[in-house]
Amino acid sequence: MAPSVTSAVVDDKPEIYEDNHVHDVYDQIASHFSSTRYKPWPIIANFLATIPTGWIGLDSGTGNGKYLPLPLERPGSIRTIGLDRSLPLLEIAKTAGGVIRDVVWGDILGYGWRTGAFDYAISIATIHHLATPERRQSAVQRLLEAVSLSHGRILIYVWAIEQDELSKRTVPSNSYSSQNGQDVLVPWVLDQPSKESHQPGRVLQRYYHMFAKGELPGLVIKCAEQMGLCIGASSDFSTGGYGVEIIQDGWERSNYYVELRRWQS
Amino acid sequence: MVRLITHNLLACHVKGCTSNNFPLEFKDVQVELRDAEFNSDFLRGFIPKIEWKALVDAARQVGNTSLPLELPEMLDDDFLKSLHHVLLEIHVEEGSMTCPNCHHVYPISNGIPNMLLAEHEIG
Repeated sequence: MAPSVTSAVVDDKPEIYEDNHVHDVYDQIASHFSSTRYKPWPIIANFLATIPTGWIGLDSGTGNGKYLPLPLERPGSIRTIGLDRSLPLLEIAKTAGGVIRDVVWGDILGYGWRTGAFDYAISIATIHHLATPERRQSAVQRLLEAVSLSHGRILIYVWAIEQDELSKRTVPSNSYSSQNGQDVLVPWVLDQPSKESHQPGRVLQRYYHMFAKGELPGLVIKCAEQMGLCIGASSDFSTGGYGVEIIQDGWERSNYYVELRRWQS
Repeated sequence: MVRLITHNLLACHVKGCTSNNFPLEFKDVQVELRDAEFNSDFLRGFIPKIEWKALVDAARQVGNTSLPLELPEMLDDDFLKSLHHVLLEIHVEEGSMTCPNCHHVYPISNGIPNMLLAEHEIG
């Protein structure tokens, strides 16, 4: 039987907790993890298919780089640069899809770019690995700063508390919080137990913050307010302002997503 | 990979280092050339976003002097081919990049730039 998801308590400084329960785990499981992550999710593939030719983008938390080759129907028409904290995953990402990719070893809370350098940014299944609401908000702010303030487009994906029926995960319901999400540890079985040698299997625990309904757009709005951005469609505001519009938000296969567009009126 | 397309976007992000923190300066580089698929539509769309002087300087630091000092108005095929080569076919495999302002050094190893900072260096 597969080990199940358990509740997590962040009992250390968040950056140390993330080192132990996120970064170290990904470094150890990189190749095994990568072999299980090859199918792009439809909403993300569709988003990248609508990006105009000549645009440059950031994949913040690129993992094995599975989104770097997209859109497959016009390869090389846009360029996505992959950022990740795990060097073993970047070694895989740098040749994602059999072509050399641009990857950078860095932290999603760092800011190693000239401001507004990108036309678009995606952050898929990454922000949920940050251990406090403040750090998750900072990560969203980095994305809003990374893209063009007049046309930047952003897509963020995070794990939802609401898991679909096909998911193999069961979420503990004891500390269920409908508003604030839930901190959990998710096991990764690295080695199966061996019957001959009686060796137990090696299981590593990854930290996740599972998002509640409304929590992700809430984070975006809080962030935009702190940055002094108007929130809504540019046509609703007078000229001379800067803002961000939530184009869509929803749930897809156990994840919440939000699509944003920055504007200058 | 540190190609010049990536280099043209990177800036120093050490705490308090907010001006004159771009472009980072290549030092002690080992370069490899690898063919990449030419896509003129991508280049034409990307050109307005390039920091041109930074690109010309970076190309010189890695041994390429094919780009004109000013971005030409006429984007003919010869020019686009040179630009393609500079942006996408020169790979900095080893070396480092230094911030012109605070002199922080970002190492490049195995084609991957290390932009990680210690927690106390993050703004």
